[in-house]
Amino acid sequence: MTNVNTGELLNFQDYSPEHNDRSARIDVEAVHSNPYNNTMSTTSYNYEEPKMTQEPEAVPQSNHNFWTIEYYQKYFDVQTSEVVERIISSVLPQKVSRNYFDERIKGKPDMYGPIWISVTLIFTIAVSGNIADYLQNANKPIPWRYDFHLVSYAATAIMSYVWIVPLALWAALKWTTVSDGQDEIETQTSRTPSMISLFCLYGYSLSIYIPVAILWTIQISWLQWLFVLMAAFVSGAVLIFWLLPALKNTKYFIILAGSILAFHFLLAAGFMLYFFHAPSKPEIIPIITTPKV
Amino acid sequence: MTTFDSKYDMYPTGDVGIVEGEMNIPGRGGVPSGDSMEFNTLDEPIKETFLRDLRAVGNKFYHVLIPREKSSLLKEWDLWGPLLLCTLMATILQGAERVNDIKDGGPEFAQVFVLVWIGAAVVTLNSKLLGGNISFFQSVCVLGYCLLPIAMSLIICRIILFSTQTTFLFFLRFAISMTGFLWATYAATKFLGDSQPEGKKALAVYPICLFYFILSWLVVSRSNV
Repeated sequence: MTNVNTGELLNFQDYSPEHNDRSARIDVEAVHSNPYNNTMSTTSYNYEEPKMTQEPEAVPQSNHNFWTIEYYQKYFDVQTSEVVERIISSVLPQKVSRNYFDERIKGKPDMYGPIWISVTLIFTIAVSGNIADYLQNANKPIPWRYDFHLVSYAATAIMSYVWIVPLALWAALKWTTVSDGQDEIETQTSRTPSMISLFCLYGYSLSIYIPVAILWTIQISWLQWLFVLMAAFVSGAVLIFWLLPALKNTKYFIILAGSILAFHFLLAAGFMLYFFHAPSKPEIIPIITTPKV
Repeated sequence: MTTFDSKYDMYPTGDVGIVEGEMNIPGRGGVPSGDSMEFNTLDEPIKETFLRDLRAVGNKFYHVLIPREKSSLLKEWDLWGPLLLCTLMATILQGAERVNDIKDGGPEFAQVFVLVWIGAAVVTLNSKLLGGNISFFQSVCVLGYCLLPIAMSLIICRIILFSTQTTFLFFLRFAISMTGFLWATYAATKFLGDSQPEGKKALAVYPICLFYFILSWLVVSRSNV
């Protein structure tokens, strides 16, 4: 059986690739005419050849080991224009369509934006916090020195916010979502956003604080508070807006939405008070420090 | 079974010529003749060995300062130059001793050291994750060598700091370190930019800018002799 088949196939291989179609057609006709004579081998050969070449390409892309770089490359598969578009849409609420989160981010969440927006924000806060500190102490006799350690504080605050709040929100959404009874399991799982997409969303929502952190160096108290309110309101609104379809399914819609906004406001206020705000009575500090010297 | 047999059978007929052509390509024969001096280093005095490595490092520094052709830095990576620059910068940048209990906010030696190496590693990891075709240590080597303009601006700023400080001198230091920052970014982009696909080039360059900007910020902020 096999010897006969390979002999025939070798004969087919002598043809140029243009003749392959015709040979395939001839085989099909042969199948119809006498089905019990070498039908399996010839037809299966002609149709399995493309499969054998396609399968090795398709499989490795989805099954990478957790510890390899290739596993994480799918979270960095973004173009420059996509990242810019996501940043803009996280700052300007009127540009956001209601389903933007569902259509774009949930389908293809990226980690590039969140990670580098966080790192940028850390160092922006450290640099402009130092500038603010310099402006506050510009008229004092003590020579001003910069404080590198602001980087550590900012990094701790931002990294914990970006990781812990989405994790808590993900857990809250997962366990408080009300099942409608008639919904199937597939639609339910797609309705609660995944951990990575929440992380992506929160990372992008921090992007408005980068220009605001530069503006916070202006040492006018009411202006600083205005920036806090504005930034927290704008990016908090985008967060709520994007998460609205998921939040509607939960029992505690008001509590969750309120706590999302509250945490966002607390973060902004904390940044401003700790890194940028001058204490209201600057005379106290020299009185405390001089007896120690 | 039959299909596998047929696959084995079909290769020799069509591809024989191509296989013969590829047999000649591996350049194993060319390597020993070109670098034969590399294999005879046992007899030479240690001074020559040392100077040859030093010359290679110096050559790379030269290529960073005048970034025209990029093969020299990418072909053979070494981490001696980055180590020298990083140690130099960390030594100068580290916070002074506390005088009269005044808070000195400068970074510790180890903090600068870790910032440079972790920063270079993270930037490299980023470009690997974006799909760039460059090996890990090649990229770290380039990023480390491109610290040279920033290290030079640090030394100049340190010399300026010996005189009495005025506002003009601050802006001079600011301008010098910004020049170092732009120079380093330009050189690193020149070396590493082509390893990325077209639509992602800006995504790979931005972390490099951020990395050098942070180090330049440390250079500007270093004050009070």
